Amino acid sequence: MAIKKKLPATKFNSPKQQRLWLMYPPRLIKQPFIWEVGHKFKVVTNIRQASVTDEIGIVCLELDGARSEVDAAIKWLEKNGVNVEPVEINVIES
Amino acid sequence: MSEHQGYMKALKCRECGREYPLTATHVCEFDFGPLEVAYDYDRIKKSLTKAAIQSRPKTMWRYRELLPVANDPTVGLQVGFTPLVKADRLARKLGIRELWIKNDTVNYPTLSFKDRVVSVALSRSRELGFDTVACASTGNLANSVAAQAASAGLKSYVFIPSDLEQGKILNSLIYGARVIGIKGHYDEVNRLCAEIAGKFGWAFVNVNMRPYYAEGSKSMAYEIAEQSGWRIPRHTVVPMASGSLLTKIQKGYQEFVKLGLVPETKYSVHGAQATGCSPISVAQKAGLDFFKPVKPNTIAKSLAIGTPADGFYALRVMRDTQAAADDVTDDEIRDAIKLLAETEGIFAETAGGVTVGVAKKLIASGKIPRDDSAVLCVTGNGLKTLDAVDGYVGKPREIKPSLREFEALLANEEKVNA
Repeated sequence: MAIKKKLPATKFNSPKQQRLWLMYPPRLIKQPFIWEVGHKFKVVTNIRQASVTDEIGIVCLELDGARSEVDAAIKWLEKNGVNVEPVEINVIES
Repeated sequence: MSEHQGYMKALKCRECGREYPLTATHVCEFDFGPLEVAYDYDRIKKSLTKAAIQSRPKTMWRYRELLPVANDPTVGLQVGFTPLVKADRLARKLGIRELWIKNDTVNYPTLSFKDRVVSVALSRSRELGFDTVACASTGNLANSVAAQAASAGLKSYVFIPSDLEQGKILNSLIYGARVIGIKGHYDEVNRLCAEIAGKFGWAFVNVNMRPYYAEGSKSMAYEIAEQSGWRIPRHTVVPMASGSLLTKIQKGYQEFVKLGLVPETKYSVHGAQATGCSPISVAQKAGLDFFKPVKPNTIAKSLAIGTPADGFYALRVMRDTQAAADDVTDDEIRDAIKLLAETEGIFAETAGGVTVGVAKKLIASGKIPRDDSAVLCVTGNGLKTLDAVDGYVGKPREIKPSLREFEALLANEEKVNA
């Protein structure tokens, strides 16, 4: 944390709000990802819309926090097999 | 016409129906649903008659009341009204009574259907006071934004994954676009582009301008209906990437019915994908109303969207119009590109191969009956994806500069063909 304090505010600790769609396959549906994200990282989670069935979990989530924390939370979700997309879903087109 | 919003009424959330002002915004603040342009159809009906349309220049802007600009368009005035080609030779090969190709391989100025959506997005961007436009793209969209921004004197930024092929980059650089290659995995690049779009005060055509941009696709449906003799074709086959084009083709048909420009008849809008990236067609075939994200692996790069933003809505359109979807392998795509070229003289990019290949399957399986008529939407030019067919179309035969050698070659060919 001491190192972080010395860094320029804009690089890692600038505030970031990211609006995301999380999609997870059936094998991950029972895991409380959003609770875990809120405990592992200093981020505020805000669910805006959700649909969880036997086949797929789809959650629209707002993540608020320092840039480094939000980015780390997204990486952690992806590492755990969650598909993480921005609210626009596919920004890159052909 | 209202000076500030033309025939548009508001932006409306597709999920909850909340309305928003007609600014550069694209997501509902409540449920993050996508916003769509809503129109004043009563006023449009008074102005947009068949006679009025037929009196106007043959471009997509002859339907301007149904396109989201407040005043006369200022960018891409020559776009659209591409040929609807009667494809008798291909029809015989596919075994269907009547077949038409909506040929956007010759769309102006960059030879793909993206010229339609970009001309709308840039015209609206100017109305909203932007001087810089941007997009994140791996091909056709980037080319069209770069070209049309250049012609309109707008500054343009194009974001691409850094490992994109050189040829595709040149097609944007030539117009003076500022092309930014982003290193990293596709998902990271995608998220960064979304963040950039939110942070800078630019018109990001497929992000904050998306509600306007996407409406440009409807012009393809209007043209098909008019060129078919003011009626909706019984079957239309559309390639699916995000699924947006398919939903807008249906919206275009619905609007023409609503305005009394065509009679209300039964129609189906079928979807086509590549097997290597087929989240929507797999869901449709399984009877699901949602799709599962996939990692794309196909030569049809222009359709390679593993998490299609409009996938859910495309599935709904296919269900509502009792349509089907299917997908084709890379080999089937190449075969279909070749078949279209050899029968109709139209050289399509890989997405066109997907559409023709899937149409062949739908006809063979009876999902499009053989005694019916169908329109295939071919959305981009083959010159853009030469690498996809390189090595699959044979090679020229070489001879010495001698007439005797040529005659021998010809005689040999006749023997083979006999």
